[in-house]
Amino acid sequence: MKLLNLLSWPYVRKHKLRTLLTLAGIVLGVAVFTGMHTANLTMQSAFQRTVDRIAGKAQLQVSAGETGFPEDVLERVQSLREVSAAAPVIEAALATPQGTLLVLGVDMTGDSSLREYNLEGDDEDVIDDPLIFLAQPDSMIVSKQFAARSGLGRGSKLALKTMGGQKTFIVRGVMKATGLATVFGGNLAIMDIYAAQAVFGRGRLFDRIDVGLSEGVSVREGAAKLQALLGPGFQVEQPQSRGAHFESMARGLTVSINLASLFALLIGVFIIYNSFSIAITQRRGEIGVLRALGASRGQVRGLFLLESVVLGVAGSLLGVAAGLALARGVVPGLAATLQDVFGHAVSASDITISPPLAAFSVFIGVMASLVGGYIPARSAASVDPVKALQKGRNQVLSEGENRWRRRAALICIALSAALIGFGDANAYFYPGYLSGIASLILLSPSMAMWLARALRPVLKTVWPVEGALAADSLIQAPRRTSATVTALMLSLALAVGFAGVSRGIYDSLIEWMRHTLNPDLYVSPSRSITAKTFRFPASMAGELRSLEGVEEVQPVRNARVMIGGEPVMAVSLDIGAIARRVRVKPVEGDRDEMVRLASEGQGVIISDNLSLMRGIHRGDILEIPSPRGLLKLPVLGSSVDYSDQQGSFLIDSKLFQRYWGDDTANLFRIHVKTGYSREKVRQRILKKWSGSHEIFVYTNEGIRDYILNLTGQWFGLTYIQLAVALIVAILGIVNTLTVSITDRRRELGVLQAVGGLRNQVRRTIWLEAVSIGVVGLVMGAGAGLVMIYFNLHMLHRDLGGLRLDFTVPYAFMAAMTPVVILCSFISALWPAESAVRASLVESLEYE
Amino acid sequence: MIGLHRVSKVFAGKRDVTALHPLDLRIPKGEMVAITGASGSGKSTLLNLIGGLDHPTTGAISVDGRELGSLSDDELTRVRRDKIGFVFQFFNLLPSLSCLENVSLPLHLRGWPRQQIHERTTELLNLVGLGKRMEHLPDELSGGERQRVAIARALSVYPPILLADEPTGNLDSATGVEILSLIKDLHRRLGTTVLMVTHDMSVARACERIVQLKDGVIVSDARVESQAAT
Repeated sequence: MKLLNLLSWPYVRKHKLRTLLTLAGIVLGVAVFTGMHTANLTMQSAFQRTVDRIAGKAQLQVSAGETGFPEDVLERVQSLREVSAAAPVIEAALATPQGTLLVLGVDMTGDSSLREYNLEGDDEDVIDDPLIFLAQPDSMIVSKQFAARSGLGRGSKLALKTMGGQKTFIVRGVMKATGLATVFGGNLAIMDIYAAQAVFGRGRLFDRIDVGLSEGVSVREGAAKLQALLGPGFQVEQPQSRGAHFESMARGLTVSINLASLFALLIGVFIIYNSFSIAITQRRGEIGVLRALGASRGQVRGLFLLESVVLGVAGSLLGVAAGLALARGVVPGLAATLQDVFGHAVSASDITISPPLAAFSVFIGVMASLVGGYIPARSAASVDPVKALQKGRNQVLSEGENRWRRRAALICIALSAALIGFGDANAYFYPGYLSGIASLILLSPSMAMWLARALRPVLKTVWPVEGALAADSLIQAPRRTSATVTALMLSLALAVGFAGVSRGIYDSLIEWMRHTLNPDLYVSPSRSITAKTFRFPASMAGELRSLEGVEEVQPVRNARVMIGGEPVMAVSLDIGAIARRVRVKPVEGDRDEMVRLASEGQGVIISDNLSLMRGIHRGDILEIPSPRGLLKLPVLGSSVDYSDQQGSFLIDSKLFQRYWGDDTANLFRIHVKTGYSREKVRQRILKKWSGSHEIFVYTNEGIRDYILNLTGQWFGLTYIQLAVALIVAILGIVNTLTVSITDRRRELGVLQAVGGLRNQVRRTIWLEAVSIGVVGLVMGAGAGLVMIYFNLHMLHRDLGGLRLDFTVPYAFMAAMTPVVILCSFISALWPAESAVRASLVESLEYE
Repeated sequence: MIGLHRVSKVFAGKRDVTALHPLDLRIPKGEMVAITGASGSGKSTLLNLIGGLDHPTTGAISVDGRELGSLSDDELTRVRRDKIGFVFQFFNLLPSLSCLENVSLPLHLRGWPRQQIHERTTELLNLVGLGKRMEHLPDELSGGERQRVAIARALSVYPPILLADEPTGNLDSATGVEILSLIKDLHRRLGTTVLMVTHDMSVARACERIVQLKDGVIVSDARVESQAAT
C-alpha cells in the first residue's frame, strides 16, 4: 500500500489521460454489461410486476395460451370445491396520447375478492355496488396517474379507439396511486369484462381466469384439481409462470445481450491490458530501481495487481453509473421492439440497478481489470534490473513469444475444428466456438505484424518518409499496438458477425415474403400486425368479399399455444385456399400431400425453425393443447416460415374453430381482382369500416417494409456494437499513439531537426493511427466472417432454428470502413498536436 | 554567415537557470569553429539556438542573412532543411530505416524526385565510405559507421552550415579521429561552415577557431594558431 502511494499515485497524476483511458476500458465493459442486463431485467421484472400486481390475491391462473377460451369454462372452475374465487379477465393494451394504456376487463361482481382497487374518496361505492358499474357498459375506472396525465376526474369522458370505432367512456372511479394502480407505469384502466369482449372483439371468450383457493388447499393441490378438471388443453399455473414464458420468448434477446456483454468485457480487458503494458514499459526504469533496491518480484507484481484492483473498483463504480444511464436510454426502444415483435406491451418506467447486479458488475469489473493487469504485472515482476534502464527494446515482441502464440493458436484452431466436427451437441459446439475466438486472439499480434509489413511498401510509395515511419512504428513495437488491434478486431468482428446474420435473415425473409406474402392488401385491427388486442369478427370476411374489386379474402388467426411448456405460434387459415396462391417448397414432406391432408384437418405443417429447435419431424405427433382437449395431430411436413421466433404450425381454420371455439381473425389477406386498382379497393375498405372499427389496411409493399423495419429494430443492436467498436478504436488508438509518441519522441525530433515540417510530423502520426485502423479493420472483417459462421450455427441450433445461408455483409463492411478510418484519424489529432508542440531540444535529448 | 547579437537563454522553472548570458558572436562563411567548455557551460544550448531548435530568451540570431526570431515554426524548419545539417553525439539515426533511407530522409522531406534522391544518397554514402552498406540498418553498423551515415544525412541537401554536437563523443579515440578528419575533409572540399561543440580540446584544435564558454559567457575566442602559441 505504501508503494502504491509512493510510486503509483505520482504516475497517475502525471499520466492523467492514460489513467482515464484505462478507466474508460473498465467503464465501457462494466457499463455495457450492467446497462444491457439492467435493461433486460427491467423489462422482465416490469412484466412480472405487472403480472403480480394484476394477479392480486390470485394463487393460480387458468389460460389456454393466447387463444382465450369459452365462457363456460368459468362455471366449471367455480364449481370446484377447492376454488374460493374465480374471476375472468381480459387484458389488452390500447394506444392513447398518454402512452400505452393497459385495460383490464374484469367481472366486478366477483373480482374484488381477488384484487383491491383502492378508489379515491366516494368512488368506493363503485366497488361496493358493482351494479352501478355493470349497468353502464361505458364505465371505466382509471388509475390516479393516468387520470392526472389525461386531466380526468370522476364523471370525465374518455375517448378510446375500440373494435367498434372511437368510443367514449365515462370515468366512474379513480384508483389511488398504490398497489394495482401503479402497474404499467400507472397507465391502467378497468372495465367490465363483457364490455371488454365487445370493445376488443373477443366474442364470447375470456383471456384467462384468476383463481383464489379455498382455505387449507395448497397451490399444488389446487392446480392438480383444476388441471384434472379442465384437461391438458389448459394451463393452470401460478401467476409468476407468465414471467417465465415472457423470458422464454425474449430468449434470443437475452442471448444477444449476454454475447454483447461478454465481448464488451473482453474488449475492456484488452484496453486495460494495453494500458498496463504501456505503463509498465514506461516505468521499466522505476521498476529496475525498485528491484535494485531490494523489492522482490512478488512485491512488484503485487504493486501492479493492486493498481489494477484500485482502478477496477473505481472504473466499475463509474461503469455501474454509466450502465444505469445506458439502460435508461435503451429500455424505451427495447420495450417498443418487444411489443412489436412479440405483441406484448411492457411499461418499464422504474429503471434501477438491483444491488446484486451492481455488486456482481463491480466484481466482474475488478476481475476484468485483474485479468487485464495480470500479464503486465507478471512482466513487470520479471524485469531485469540491469536491463531496465536500456531503452528502446522493450516494445519488441521476441520471436519466441510470437512463435509460442502462433503454436497455441494452431492448437486452438485444431481443437475448434475437431470439437465442431466431432459432434453436434452444445458440449462440443460452444467449447469449439470459444477455442476459435481464442485462436483469433492468439494470432492477432502476428497478423498485425504481417499486415503492417504488407502496408509498408504501399505507404512508402505514397509518403516515402511519413508512410514508412508510420508502418515501421507498428512493425517495431507490436507490443504497443497488438492489444489495441486485438480489441478493435474483436469489436468489429462482433459487429460484422451480427451484420452478417442480419443480412442473412433479411435475404431469407425477403425470399420468404416473395413466396408467401403475395396478397395485394392486408387488413389488420391494430397498427402492429403482431398485436392481438383487437380481433375482427368472422362475419367481416363476408363483408369484405362483397366489396367491389375484392377477389378473395383469406382470414388468418394466429395465437401462441403452449406446446411442451413453451409458446408456439398456431397459425389458423384456410390451407387449401392459401396453397392455391402460395407455392412454398417444403423442407420436409410432399407439398401436394401436405396441403391436401392439412386442409382436411388430418395434420399440421410445422415451421422449419420449430422442427430444428424441438427436433420434431414429419410423421411425429404434435400434441396441441386446446380448450376442447389435447389435439394430437401428425406433422405432415415442414416449410420455412418466419411467423414466430419460437416456431409456428399451420392448422386448418375449420379444425381450429372446432377446438378453440374461436372464429375471429387477426388479419385478412385480400387479393384484388385483375384490372382493379389496389389503392381504390384499399380506400373502399377504409371508407366502409374506419368510422365503426379500428382498422389498418396495408399494401403488399407496406407489409413487407413493416416486417423488414421490425427486423431492423431487432438488429439495431448491430449499430450499438459498431458504436462500441468505434469507442474502442478511439480509446485504444489514442492510448497507443500517446505511448508511440513518447517512445518515438527522439525520432520525431530528428524528423523535425532534419527538415520535417509540422504537417509532415503530423502526417506520420495520422498515418500510424489510420494504419492501426486499417489493420484492425482487415482483421476484424476476417474474424467477423468466422463470427458469422458461429452465429449462424447458434441461430440454427439454439435461438431461432433458422437455416440461413452464409452471407457476407458487404454493404455493412463497406460502410464501416470509412467510419473506422475516420475515427482512427480523429483519435490521432490530439496526439499529433502534442507531438509537434513538444520541445525539439528535449526530444533530441530524450532517452 | 552566422550572427548572434546579445543572445541569452534562461530556462524558466521553479528556479530560473541562465544557460547563456547575453553574448555576441560572428562566424563567417566557410569557417570551421569549435565551441568548447565544461559540462553545463552552455555550448549545446548555443548550438541549439543557432540551429533553430530552440528560441533565445533575448537577442537576435541570423543565419545566412535570415533573422530566426521573426520566423514561424515551419519557416524555421525550412531554414534548417535548406541551410543546416545536424550531426549528433548519439547519431540520431532512425533505427527502422536503412542507411540509404536515413540519408534520403531530408531529401524526401524536401520533395526531391526519387531518381535524384537515389543518385544523391548513393554519392554521399560512397563519399563517407559506406557504399557497400547502404541497405544495412543502423543496428548492424559500428559507432563510427553510424556517425558516417549521420554525416552523410547532414550533408544530403548541400547545407552551407554543418552543426555538430559532440560528433566524436560517443566513439573510441581512433574512430573519433577518423570522423574528425572526414568532417575536415568535407569542410575543405565542399566549403561548408562547420560549428562543432566539443569538450575535447584535441578535437577542438583540429578547427580553425575555438570559442570557449564558461557558465554561459564567452571567455575566449581565438584562432587555433594563436591559441596554440599561447
